[in-house]
Amino acid sequence: MSVLLAVDGLVKHYPVRRAGGLFGRRSVLKAVDGVSLQVPEGRTLGLVGESGCGKSTTAKLVLGLIPRDAGTVTVGGEPVTAVRDGNWRLQRRHMQMVYQDPLGALDRRLPVGLQVMEPMDIFAEGVRTTRRERALDLFDAVGLSRTLFERYPHELSGGQRQRVVLARALILSPKLIVCDEPISALDVSIQAQVVNLLLDLQERFGLAYLFISHDLKVVRQVAHEVAVMYLGKIVERGDPEALFHAPAHPYTRALVSAIPTPRTRGRPRLILSGDPPSPVDVPSGCAFHPRCPIVVRRCRTETPQLKPLGDGRVVACHLASHTPAALAAAAE
Amino acid sequence: MLGYVLSRVLRALLTILLVLTFSFFILQLTGDPAVLILSADAPPEALEAFRREWGLDAPLWKQYAGYLLNLTEGHLGRSMRDGRDAADVVAERIPLTLAITVPALTLKVSIGVTAGIVAALHRDSWVDRLVMAFSVAGYTVPSFVLGLALMLVFAVWLGWLPAAGADSWRHAILPVITLGVAGAAVLARFTRSAMLEVLGQPYVRTGQAKGLAWHKVVTVHAFPNAAIPTLTVAGFMLGSLVAGAVVVESVFAWPGVGRLLVSAVANRDLMVVQAILLLVTVTMVTANLLVDLVYGLVDPRLRTARTGERGA
Amino acid sequence: MTDAALPPSRETLTASSTTVPPVTRFFRAYPPFVLLALFWIATMLFVAIFADMLRPYDFKALDLRDRLAAPIFMGGTDRHILGSDELGRDVLSRLIESIRMSLAIAFASTAITAVIGVTLGFLAAHFRGWVEHLVLGAIDFMAALPFLIIALAVLAFFGNSLPLFIALMGMHGWERIARITRGLAIAANEHGYASAVRDIGASPWRVYGRHVLPNIASTLIVAITLNIPEVILLESGLSFLGLGVQPPLTSLGNMVGYGREYIQTAPWIMLAPAVVITLTTLAISIVGDWLRDKLDPTLR
Repeated sequence: MSVLLAVDGLVKHYPVRRAGGLFGRRSVLKAVDGVSLQVPEGRTLGLVGESGCGKSTTAKLVLGLIPRDAGTVTVGGEPVTAVRDGNWRLQRRHMQMVYQDPLGALDRRLPVGLQVMEPMDIFAEGVRTTRRERALDLFDAVGLSRTLFERYPHELSGGQRQRVVLARALILSPKLIVCDEPISALDVSIQAQVVNLLLDLQERFGLAYLFISHDLKVVRQVAHEVAVMYLGKIVERGDPEALFHAPAHPYTRALVSAIPTPRTRGRPRLILSGDPPSPVDVPSGCAFHPRCPIVVRRCRTETPQLKPLGDGRVVACHLASHTPAALAAAAE
Repeated sequence: MLGYVLSRVLRALLTILLVLTFSFFILQLTGDPAVLILSADAPPEALEAFRREWGLDAPLWKQYAGYLLNLTEGHLGRSMRDGRDAADVVAERIPLTLAITVPALTLKVSIGVTAGIVAALHRDSWVDRLVMAFSVAGYTVPSFVLGLALMLVFAVWLGWLPAAGADSWRHAILPVITLGVAGAAVLARFTRSAMLEVLGQPYVRTGQAKGLAWHKVVTVHAFPNAAIPTLTVAGFMLGSLVAGAVVVESVFAWPGVGRLLVSAVANRDLMVVQAILLLVTVTMVTANLLVDLVYGLVDPRLRTARTGERGA
Repeated sequence: MTDAALPPSRETLTASSTTVPPVTRFFRAYPPFVLLALFWIATMLFVAIFADMLRPYDFKALDLRDRLAAPIFMGGTDRHILGSDELGRDVLSRLIESIRMSLAIAFASTAITAVIGVTLGFLAAHFRGWVEHLVLGAIDFMAALPFLIIALAVLAFFGNSLPLFIALMGMHGWERIARITRGLAIAANEHGYASAVRDIGASPWRVYGRHVLPNIASTLIVAITLNIPEVILLESGLSFLGLGVQPPLTSLGNMVGYGREYIQTAPWIMLAPAVVITLTTLAISIVGDWLRDKLDPTLR
């Protein structure tokens, strides 16, 4: 399976000024601080983390929606830039984004059918009748009734709107879709439907997904590989099952232990101490060290790099070579 | 705090400089003032002499520098009509304008704010509707129409007050009322909505629940908070005193700065126009600055925000 | 708890609203003052458009034998229904012509204001950076001085011709439109449909023209509508001072200005245009306020 999306050393820093107006202290907000990942054709990479960890920024950088400070991004071998020229616009045909808020992503004054057709208008594909036909085909593909073609966004339910957004994203047959929290705004009962739809579409059209979410349960269902982000860096990456059954990084452990399932009733919860720091004040050494239950002196001074764990996973932790059992013992 | 004051002062000075530069360059663009004043078919020697006398033959940057220098010394050029110092021409009219605008401002604030408060306290009653109706009438009727109407009724038909001129204090009554009405109407409306917003706040109801007498709640809690935005509006009115006076002085033939501006514009007496422009700018900018500073002092929310936030 | 102690149920409350007669519902949607205002505006527009057919005489026609004639309701004849001025010109005809002139100026300059304001607002929102700073600086500058003073200064420096005057009127109020447009466009750009469509690959023209503008149109229309009475007041004020519309052309303010000298002998010369100015600005303000309440009730 060839690699579709290759990201290497992606960095995005924002200069910020602390309070005080013109005379405030200058600081740097490290939204993304050296992220590397790969998504093969037709497969899904799940990106998880809490709010503020840099997932959405990564998504925008990958698609070339905001300029990056360092690193490379290639899709299908072609580099992705953030300069919005003709080339950039042409690249849009291969990669699209699906957003968290489907109502916000749609123009409330236009019927949804027209909005699904819009990418074809922009790239002048086909003529009006063929465009309409194709849009209707996509309605079928995403499971929307054709009668909804003339409706307005506010007349549809949340799940239906998300399907419209998907249809619009798919109409030019892209190879890569970046989904930024695509189901968190939907009712739980609808979430399952949309997830199944995404899986179905992946199989039918050979789509690759970069699936971003803070919800681990969902990511586990859809992803072939999972990457965990914390304060702009990836701390663990690997097979979902391995990651969930035996998380190697203390942060992943905490996230996994927080998932409420019937089986965890007797399991010890890993509670993190301290408040989540802001990406402006990234701690020295390992960014996680102020909250880590197994912190040692080395963690404060030396930033851990992603190292293979042997079972296909990579982890960025100085104590990763310890077995999970030892980690659990240290936690008590 | 100091940073706030400094940045505001800087901004004010910048605006004044901008206006000065703007008027200087516009002046240059309007063509040769010599031709304008002396007419196109004057003999060339006369034009040359005129240019030399007024310093119009120096290069542009030199003129600009000279212009700014003159300003700092208080020379605003000379009235091209009668040759007197423009600054003097304008300055001698200022007291007369103040004589009607200051009482008008007092009128605006006292009537407008009171009416607004009363209307807010008796919301949706006939008092409220009456005040609002007058307020709407007050600011949609143009000042010259109102002035002329008052003149018609009180000077022509009833003969109680003189129609025009500035010979006695009685002559000032109609101009003051005309000036005051529009501003009072705007302030009434504004104060009313500010009060209504404040009265709807939870802390007012808390005051009532504590058992405070209603009038105390209003004066101690509600009004000071409503006063803040009202203050801003009143401040802007302070700044636009001259602008308001322009039309009213012309209606009542009141020889103040406003009337001078109109005749200077009609006669293309550019130096006088420029002098008045400067006067208005300085007044406006100073008034805005004062409002900003007072605002910063009065509103505790602004004070804490300025001393820096902890952890954004 | 018995039923008697409970407030009337939801069902009974809504049931009564369905029996409201259509007439009442009509007047709730269009309050009487608004209807009157709309009627007046329609009348003024009608007069402006059909001025040539409506006026009994040419507005410049002199009638030296019938100077300063009183209007018909003050003892005059039906030769001059609203009286005549010092040169015997028919006041009604001049009034009709003035309405056309003042309204034409008001609409033309408001159109200019709208175009300038919206364009600059979009430019500031789209490019951000120094473009935005420049536009914001210009906005602050315009807001810092009373427009009347700026207008007078420009008229002094450049003289007075009708095209220049209209262009000058067109500069009134653009800063408010620009500020609103910029705010709304930035909000649209940050989240939602505008950035979504741009991410698909739409050109900025398409984004602003097909998506952003239609969505912010209602707020803009209210702001633009409320600009019109201000322009009418400004133009009539300047014309009253003799600095606006110059003779032989006539405008409402212009008529009031000339009528002022005859306030004691022939007050009707200035009364008719004064009343028209007042009622027209009042009507447009009422409609503008009503539109604002209707389109965005949260924005009081």
